[in-house]
Amino acid sequence: MTGNQSAFFVVPDGLSAETLAQALDRYTVESRPRQPERAFALLDCHDQSLQQSGRLLIEAAGMLRLYDNRGDSVSQRLKGRGRFPKDFPEGPMKQALSGFPKLRALGVVGEGHISRADFLVLDELQKTQAKLHVTALSSPNERVELVQVEGLRGYDRAFSAVSSAIAGIKGAQADVAAVFPQLFPGQARYQAKPHIPLGKTEPASEAATDIISTYLGVARQNEAGVIKDIDTEYLHDYRVSLRRIRSVLSLFKGVYSEAETAGLKRVFSDLMQPTGRVRDLDVYLLEKESFFNLVPVSLNAGLEEMFDAFQKERARELNRLSRWLRGSEYEKTMRSLAARFESATDLASGPSANLGAYEYACALIWKRYRKVCKLARSITPDTPDEVVHDLRIHCKKLRYLMEFFGPLFDDKGFKTIIKPLKRLQDNLGLFNDCSVQQEALLEFVSTSSGRSGQINGQLAMAVGGLIAVLDQRQRQERDRVIANFEHFDSPKIRQLFRTLFHSAKE
Amino acid sequence: MKTIACYSNKGGVGKTATSVNLAYAFAQAGQRVLLCDLDPQGASGFYLRVKPSKKLTEARFFEDVKRFTKSIRASDFEGLDVLPANMTYRDFDVFLSRMRNKRSRLKKALVSVGGDYDVIVLDCPPNFSTLSENIFKASDLIVVPVIPSTLSERTFEQLIGFFDAHKLPKKKICAFFSMVQRRKKLHLETMETMQKQYRKRFLKTVVPFSADIERMGQYRAPVLTYAGRSVAASAYKSLFKEIKKGVGPVK
Repeated sequence: MTGNQSAFFVVPDGLSAETLAQALDRYTVESRPRQPERAFALLDCHDQSLQQSGRLLIEAAGMLRLYDNRGDSVSQRLKGRGRFPKDFPEGPMKQALSGFPKLRALGVVGEGHISRADFLVLDELQKTQAKLHVTALSSPNERVELVQVEGLRGYDRAFSAVSSAIAGIKGAQADVAAVFPQLFPGQARYQAKPHIPLGKTEPASEAATDIISTYLGVARQNEAGVIKDIDTEYLHDYRVSLRRIRSVLSLFKGVYSEAETAGLKRVFSDLMQPTGRVRDLDVYLLEKESFFNLVPVSLNAGLEEMFDAFQKERARELNRLSRWLRGSEYEKTMRSLAARFESATDLASGPSANLGAYEYACALIWKRYRKVCKLARSITPDTPDEVVHDLRIHCKKLRYLMEFFGPLFDDKGFKTIIKPLKRLQDNLGLFNDCSVQQEALLEFVSTSSGRSGQINGQLAMAVGGLIAVLDQRQRQERDRVIANFEHFDSPKIRQLFRTLFHSAKE
Repeated sequence: MKTIACYSNKGGVGKTATSVNLAYAFAQAGQRVLLCDLDPQGASGFYLRVKPSKKLTEARFFEDVKRFTKSIRASDFEGLDVLPANMTYRDFDVFLSRMRNKRSRLKKALVSVGGDYDVIVLDCPPNFSTLSENIFKASDLIVVPVIPSTLSERTFEQLIGFFDAHKLPKKKICAFFSMVQRRKKLHLETMETMQKQYRKRFLKTVVPFSADIERMGQYRAPVLTYAGRSVAASAYKSLFKEIKKGVGPVK
């Protein structure tokens, strides 16, 4: 019957009826025939959000089965790999995965073989007191077993006794996600924003080098996903990593020599260049539905045509990008960069190279904060849009600096500052998106029109409609900027900035 | 939900064997079944290796819902749960009325753990009492095993008389001949007379006297699990089919 008590344990290796019987002295154990072995794949997204939330998703023989630490398991006949859980047909699996990142697809973490065996735990009357479902999972080098203890209604005591006996087996863990590291050890966990430890007196050039080297690694972890086109987040994360590196190069003034900095800036700008168009197109295609919601149904035909064109262009651009990423020139560049950033000594240092990281960070953040405030306080309803754009850039730089140097400062104060800053940034981001999208639409119209400047009527109407809506949106967002800044500019935040980043000077 | 009572006002007629095999057959057919062992001398629980729970009697202070849900035990067979024999008559009265009331907290508690039942089989104690009257009222069908002997003829008459006296619907009575020995002339003659006299009350199935059924005490399992191809097993299968038809759609 459903609704029975259930618990999962991960045990290192082959549970036999004998070892079980030893662990459960009051009961006898009867094993049922083992099911034949078949292939399985362990699925998760690139960020391993399932593993992080204590869940395990296994695909075998056309079935998906999801295990969680509350003891529940959900299964459904479905193909999972390469798919977005949000696109699954309505059913238990879609429901169980409702918290899964919307933009992420399921990828294969590892593969191996699976077989299942059931055991009955019996009392002296040979009455079943609990059931054990043992799923043996093996990867090429490792083996692990997932044990489900299933209680029977009315036999709560046996359930607790059996559960604690299994928990007492050497190496047992009451966490289904323990299967990941045990079956596929050495697989680095992907983190888009890894924690980079910094020392307060560490030379600034070392801090910069650590950060850059880490983000080079993050970028590289995304290459395969971009090439396979698993989901759009791979390219997004790839670009964000490179952008972080570029911001270190431009924000950490004086850590490297001027010539070195200029050279590196160029290298990273060249690396980023082939990715831009695909990302722009990704953004439009992801927003497809909301674009359709912005304009009346009468303009849908034109939009359809525009998105078809985007889709085709994306396929072309992605093809080009994948070829670049697979190419030997790219590989050579990335390898040599990784080698150069292994230690700060291989790079020509600048005047600030040996400043202590803490002192250096305080100065940079304080200066940028003052710039943001000065600019933001000058904004009135009549200020030109360009100034608002500048404010966005300064806020972004401030945020990056705070994130890079975060490990050096008090966590609580940081979080208090980041919250209103993030709100202001979201606001400025939307303002920028509306403006960029309008430009892109105008650009699209001009490339789609004939030599004499003529364009398909439906297309023109759709784009015109969109631009009008986007312009209104942009103005609405702009109107919010002043209020959001005032929120960020509160006495409490000011005080926090001062104590965190400027107290040493006074 | 349908309630099927196995009842006989005479002991030793194969009532408990009928309850267990019938409950098992319903569960095998995919229904969720609760077998209630109401006969203190009965052995439904014994046949399914379920020990009587002490909790129910000890935990008087518990609210009814908890007392009932906690004392239900899963059998070793998918879809078949047992309420072991340790209820007082008053307890059972309460239980029965709660089970039939869709909005009762007991019902809701069972639904919430995914354990609501499609069929309830009652293994009833062999006497006439206020409880049996309530059981007769509450049940959709009353299955009555009858040994075709002179004495059984008399007790069956008494049962019909009880229904008449209490204005209970006789339609619910589904009698069948149990422990039949075809070698005995008396059995054959009694069957003929009773079938004539109570034409509408008797099912077609005849369950023979069988060593396979007696062995239930040894195997402590339904006949269908250890002697699936026996005459006894096919008799219970055909009994199940007739009763399923009589009780109508269960969901």
